[in-house]
Amino acid sequence: MPLTRFTTLDFDQIKAGIKDYLRANTKFTDFDFEGSNFSVLINTLAYNTYINAFNTNMVLNEVFLDSATLRENVISRAREIGYVPRSRTAAKATVSFSAITSANTPTLTLKKGLVCVGKAENSSYTFSTFDNITATTKDFVVDGITYKKSDFNNIEVYQGVLLQKVFVVDGSVDQRFILDNSFVDTSTIKVYVKGVSDTGLGGEYSVVDNIVNVNNLSEIYLIQEIVDEKYELLFGDGIFGKKLENGSVITVDYVVTDGENGNGASEFSYSGQLTNANNAVVTVAFTIDITTNQSAQFGSEIETIDSIKYYAPRIYSSQYRAVTSRDYEAIIKTIYPDTESVSVVGGEELNPPQFGKVQISIKPKNGTFISDFVKTQIYSKLKNYVISGINQEIVDLKVLYIEIDSSVYYDTSRVSSTDSLKSSIISSIQKYSRSIDLNKFGGRFKYSRLVSLIDNVDRSITSNITKVRIRRDIKVSVNTPTQYEICFGNAFHANPDGLNIKSTGFKVFGHPNVVYLTDVPNDDGKEGVISVVEPKVDESGQVIYVVIVKSAGTVDYENGEIILNPVVITETSAPNNVIEVQAFPDSNDVIGLKDLYLSFDVSKSTINIVKDTISSGEKISGVGFANISSYPNGNLTR
Amino acid sequence: MAVQRISREFKDIDLSFTPHPITKDLQILKNESAIRRAVRNIVETIPTEVPFDSLFGSYVRASLFNFCDFATAARIQSQIEIAVKNYEPRVNNLRIEVDPRPDSNTFLCTIIFDIIGQEIPTQTFTFLLEANR
Repeated sequence: MPLTRFTTLDFDQIKAGIKDYLRANTKFTDFDFEGSNFSVLINTLAYNTYINAFNTNMVLNEVFLDSATLRENVISRAREIGYVPRSRTAAKATVSFSAITSANTPTLTLKKGLVCVGKAENSSYTFSTFDNITATTKDFVVDGITYKKSDFNNIEVYQGVLLQKVFVVDGSVDQRFILDNSFVDTSTIKVYVKGVSDTGLGGEYSVVDNIVNVNNLSEIYLIQEIVDEKYELLFGDGIFGKKLENGSVITVDYVVTDGENGNGASEFSYSGQLTNANNAVVTVAFTIDITTNQSAQFGSEIETIDSIKYYAPRIYSSQYRAVTSRDYEAIIKTIYPDTESVSVVGGEELNPPQFGKVQISIKPKNGTFISDFVKTQIYSKLKNYVISGINQEIVDLKVLYIEIDSSVYYDTSRVSSTDSLKSSIISSIQKYSRSIDLNKFGGRFKYSRLVSLIDNVDRSITSNITKVRIRRDIKVSVNTPTQYEICFGNAFHANPDGLNIKSTGFKVFGHPNVVYLTDVPNDDGKEGVISVVEPKVDESGQVIYVVIVKSAGTVDYENGEIILNPVVITETSAPNNVIEVQAFPDSNDVIGLKDLYLSFDVSKSTINIVKDTISSGEKISGVGFANISSYPNGNLTR
Repeated sequence: MAVQRISREFKDIDLSFTPHPITKDLQILKNESAIRRAVRNIVETIPTEVPFDSLFGSYVRASLFNFCDFATAARIQSQIEIAVKNYEPRVNNLRIEVDPRPDSNTFLCTIIFDIIGQEIPTQTFTFLLEANR
């Protein structure tokens, strides 16, 4: 009998294989007994085979991008397809301060390196600048003494420590230019090469990530990650990129950062160094107070192994060209690592179609919108990848919120505390709200999933009646005549009596009281009119609604769109100049259409706990059972 | 009533790997000598020594750090008995005698057993365990 089990990785199976072989091919008999000498030999053989098989398996795993587990192997496989993993990114803050000195100098220079120390979550983080910043001084008199004062406004400081590494090129083939620190933010690396005949630091080299448009005189370098999350610089060979001369001095400035831990730092204390016009260090006459223009943000961790495995093949398949929406998704996540989700819609899919245009919505990891500055950065970086003649437009994120109003029946004999039951339901819903179905572009809220999830939270729950609402928040342009178009992407349920569209309160120009939106469907039930109404208490103490503007806009129930005619809104009841507009979806399954980002808002959902008097045996005939309506309520306002 | 099995001949390899003086073949251990060797292997193996079978062996070696007295001897006796009963199915009527010899700091172990399914007289073999203190 031959030894045929080559593939097994289990010690006992290997041992059984050897025993089977011996049973058929030897006159020895005692290998079946664990105490025998033969067992000692078999154990040794099997262990050796096992270790060999295990090692081979591990080595082969590391050969492929999909199965590699060690970071250095994953990045090595990714490098083969031209992918450079993202490094840590330093959090960036913008600060301003004034420095007053008794030294008589026309300028003050803030030396590059440490500028201030910021606090985030009870930890201190250092913030640095890359370059010297010089500001002119002006006279400043305090108590009859004249000082010199310089204003340093809107200085960008980066979380981390600025370090410098100097290499001297020795011309040897095996010389490597490795930055000794892990946690480097590669976007902060500045490389200066001083040739033999140059003075100062020499010329600055620029980083490239591929060799397109690179010739033998291009002063470029490439970065690659090596072991222990360190980085190596690669210079030209005289064909692609300028070759380094023997004896050249390479000076590399870079920041070692704490990544996302630095985010949120908003209180800074000054720790920098100032010099006068003669480059001599000067002391300040008064303590420097730092004003924070923008607290620290955009710090991020080094790209994870999972992310490298996901994006490396996608970037390779996109060939660094943004053509399909998947290409945009991969490229935008590379150039803006703070991206959580991206939606890209071709102009031909828009209504009306806008050919030659690509609409991009980005959901950042923190918050719901990206600043104009970041948009400009993304536009400029995208230019390297996009096809000529196609215009990109980054539109603000449109969040479609889902809220539920759930009445949950419970068996009183099976539960001790309704509060704990309610909190278990809320915690389960919160878990679902973070699920992969939602919180993304193109997401889908699955009603039946939610309903069964609520039923299964606890065995005391007998049933639930859950109503779904959808909501959009209008960011109002206060005191400006503006037309608003609110797209929900889902058809509305149109009750012929109205009360389908509800809003939070707001004030309009020329009217002192808080008003609300409501709708009146047309006879066909497909479209309707939006009116602005004000609640008032009549003589009998009843709340009545007085129409302020009869035709304030239109509603398209079939397409889920609300258009408000130009209106001047002066104030909103909800904070941050927001009007919450809600509707009831025609289908309980809600989808995030095109650029709508689907988000389940548990905080604005309501959970009511209702006694199931039939199941608990209180009223088995059903008389007096608390029947909950499955349809929207009749209130006019949210 | 338990089925009385008739065993074939037991044959094991001799780990001394000394060749037979005439045939130059590797020597083999047969029947009672094979089983005696196996019993001794079990007693001398430290648990976790055998790959993927952490319980195999006996804790006799750990007991050798204790005083050379009857209490330790009783413990060693019990450990040998448990190990042999668990891992050597070819023997029955097992009797273990452990005799402490404080003067020479050793335990004299005598293991007496019958071999199942073979017409072989009761086997007795002795060995000395030296205390480590």
